[in-house]
Amino acid sequence: MAVDPRNASTELSTDALAELAHEEEFVHGTVVRAQGPWRIAARRLRRNKVALGFLGLFFVVVAICLAAPVWADNVAKRGPKDNNEVGTVTVDGKKKNVVSPDGVPIGPTWQGQYFLGADGNGRDTAVRLLYGGRNSLIIGISAALITALLSVVLGILSGFFGGVTDSVISRSMDVVWAFPVILLGVALGTALGVNGLKLGPITLAEDSKLIPVLIIGFVYVPYLARPIRGQVMALRQKEFVEAAEAQGAGPWRIMFSEVLPNLTSTIIVFLPLAVANAILLEAALSFVGAGVRAPETSWGTMIAEGIETITSAPHQTIVPGLMLVITVLGLNVFGDGVRDAFDPRAKIRVEH
Amino acid sequence: MTRYRSLLAVVAGTAVAAFGVTACGGGGDDDSSGGGSGKSGGTINIGTVGPDSYDPALFQTVQASQALSPVYTPLTKYAPKEGKAGGEIVPGLADLPKVTNGGKTYTYQLKKGINFSDGSPVKASDYEHAIKRVVGQKGPYSSFFTGIVGAEEFQKDPKASNDIKGITTDDKTGKIVVELKAPDGKFPFAQSVAYAAPVKASSSPISDMTKKPPIGSGPYTLKVVDPSKEFTLTKNKNFNVPGVEKGKVDKINGLVSDSVERQTQDVISGKLDFTTEDPSGNLLPQVRSKYKDRIREDANPPNTYYFFLNVTEPPFNKLEARQAVNYAIDSRALVRIFGGRLEPGCTFLPPQLVGYKDFKCPYGDPGGPGNVKKAKELVEKSGTKGQQVTVWTNNKSPRDKIAVYYAGVLEDIGYKTKIKTLDQQVYFDRIGTKSSKAQTGFTDWYQDFPHPADFFQPLLTGDSLQSTPTSNQGFVNDATLNKKSEDLVQEPDLEKAAPDWGDLDEYVVKDKAYIVPYGYEKATSFFSERMDFDNCAGVHPVYKNDWTQFCLK
Repeated sequence: MAVDPRNASTELSTDALAELAHEEEFVHGTVVRAQGPWRIAARRLRRNKVALGFLGLFFVVVAICLAAPVWADNVAKRGPKDNNEVGTVTVDGKKKNVVSPDGVPIGPTWQGQYFLGADGNGRDTAVRLLYGGRNSLIIGISAALITALLSVVLGILSGFFGGVTDSVISRSMDVVWAFPVILLGVALGTALGVNGLKLGPITLAEDSKLIPVLIIGFVYVPYLARPIRGQVMALRQKEFVEAAEAQGAGPWRIMFSEVLPNLTSTIIVFLPLAVANAILLEAALSFVGAGVRAPETSWGTMIAEGIETITSAPHQTIVPGLMLVITVLGLNVFGDGVRDAFDPRAKIRVEH
Repeated sequence: MTRYRSLLAVVAGTAVAAFGVTACGGGGDDDSSGGGSGKSGGTINIGTVGPDSYDPALFQTVQASQALSPVYTPLTKYAPKEGKAGGEIVPGLADLPKVTNGGKTYTYQLKKGINFSDGSPVKASDYEHAIKRVVGQKGPYSSFFTGIVGAEEFQKDPKASNDIKGITTDDKTGKIVVELKAPDGKFPFAQSVAYAAPVKASSSPISDMTKKPPIGSGPYTLKVVDPSKEFTLTKNKNFNVPGVEKGKVDKINGLVSDSVERQTQDVISGKLDFTTEDPSGNLLPQVRSKYKDRIREDANPPNTYYFFLNVTEPPFNKLEARQAVNYAIDSRALVRIFGGRLEPGCTFLPPQLVGYKDFKCPYGDPGGPGNVKKAKELVEKSGTKGQQVTVWTNNKSPRDKIAVYYAGVLEDIGYKTKIKTLDQQVYFDRIGTKSSKAQTGFTDWYQDFPHPADFFQPLLTGDSLQSTPTSNQGFVNDATLNKKSEDLVQEPDLEKAAPDWGDLDEYVVKDKAYIVPYGYEKATSFFSERMDFDNCAGVHPVYKNDWTQFCLK
């Protein structure tokens, strides 16, 4: 999205301005034309090899999870919900029970079928890990987008109109903020997980994956909406807004074409961090049974199931845990890089 | 009465005969420890997934039964012995009753000078009050007592000041006379369980007292610290019932948690001294091999594990759909999910119970694979193919896995499935409430007392639907079944009626396919190193484990 050159600098921090000024003056001793803030941010990001490396790591995880059906159909030859309590698998030429008569599932076979072993229902752990990853990522990304959308709408409305609108929205945000996110998430997840959500024409079944998406999207709203509100309040006083008003632009047009573009860097900085936190919260909710419902899976549910067998089959917990760590670490380090590139002084912080 | 509750295959006839002959005899059992003596004193910690209720009128689970039985001593009780001997009815707060009027009148004489745990005397009318609480709250056991004259009338207007006509009490003499509408062979058994124990009438309203349970007269007093976390049983200093064992340890801390795995680990490490749960599949082999000197796997108290089928909701209002599920089940899978602790079977009455009939399983070898092809045909024939079915279960291991397996089977035979997992402490209340419209799901039953009526009446008869929640989760109300069950229960000679009870079992399973029985669980008792395993395991056919017998080394 293009940034209005009249106000582009208003969103940049002092550091960015200094760098901009510096780059305007000399590059290899020659005066060059000024570069836009986006280009500068992109250059900074490109220089940050660590952040890019971790982004690559994240993409690897995403690619692996996207390939879940390929693995399931061609390698494991089992779906994520295919039970096989009484089946056998051939390992090193020997037939072995997938689940032993006394209930112990097979461990990692390091071959196509049951690569990471089975769970108590004889389901292939590797397949479930990949499908679970898809669910975790889809929920995390969708929830972060919902958070961003709601936060931008509420933050702009609140900061732009002020007065009663601001009071109502801000106090509502305060109420949500007053609860620790996990507590609120578990409370909502448990309540909605019993009978689903019936809100006017909207009906969501209790096992719908949209429920954790909406819950996670909702509980993080204040963490973005409040900084945006503050930013909008400052932008509201800027000359270019007054100029737009003088030209006869209505409030909605000003919000959309003058204010919103100036929030872009904040949103961009927020998104990777929000996705990481949403994935973590999803795992936490699923771990306590308030997120993804059986027989669907996610890394959180796999860890919860794995805890039951932590002594006899620790890989059932460790592997989804490691996937979670890699994903969240990748996103967090990349997110920090984005923040450093776009807005080093950003005050966006997402609490766990 | 119980989901996860136990009772050994006691031949009920033994008990009936014992007290038919002895009439007022008895007076306890000197060698009451059931396995030898052990030292007294000390505090032990018991892990459990938790009683479903701490109110003796409302509890359903075996966990609750174990915790409440040491607190509420009934007029008569079960002998503190292992095996069949534990099914014998012996004196409790009263001597054994005189049975007259063709089995319709029971006369009890309360022992003299006995007190509640607060020191106040136990009165004959306190017994009537306990029955009022059970009947008035329409608890899970209310159907055991609605055969008392006037009980149904009381149920319609359950005020403490109202009378149950069929119970006459004299507080001065301690005489209690119970008049039944018809002879009831199971009545003396039902009378010997904690829910029939006198509670202090003046402080026990006819309402749910799970947070602050009624005052009882058992060897221990109960304090609920937090219903979902902790409760304590402390020796009752005022306990003075002659002939009834006093309990050995001074204090029992009941620690509630959902994780059976954690509890097993804690027993291994010594943080817990006992768990009411069976070590889950993955830990069981390790426990069996490493700690075989402190684990017991006993011929189980009679129990049946089955899937309930709600006959009032599609698709299981169709006989073919119900038969299809029975055909499709592969008990071998369930045996593995149970960690090998399940004996496959297809009968409603478990093999150890009087009335068990070893009829040929109509849906194939219960230890063999399911017949999915036949099941698919039946689903097609029933016209229910493609319908949505929600499988209900609770979060106690391995019930989550059982539901995953079951949902997979239903998918295989043509249904679309969802799984609904609830906390185990609220689960049975929800599925037993009509408005929940639970179509099918996990359930089980451990006998309360060694009588087939304890299975049929609360689980499958129309009478049981008067309770809310009901244990008849399939909402079965079959006129033939109701009539036959009612007739059979009037037969005082259980051995004589046993073949007919077996026929009724066959009718339920083969002719009507009201339920999907798949096996009988073998119970384990796993103790810490501190416990005197050899002398005080307290394995009991009715209570599963009798906590009054627990002791430290």
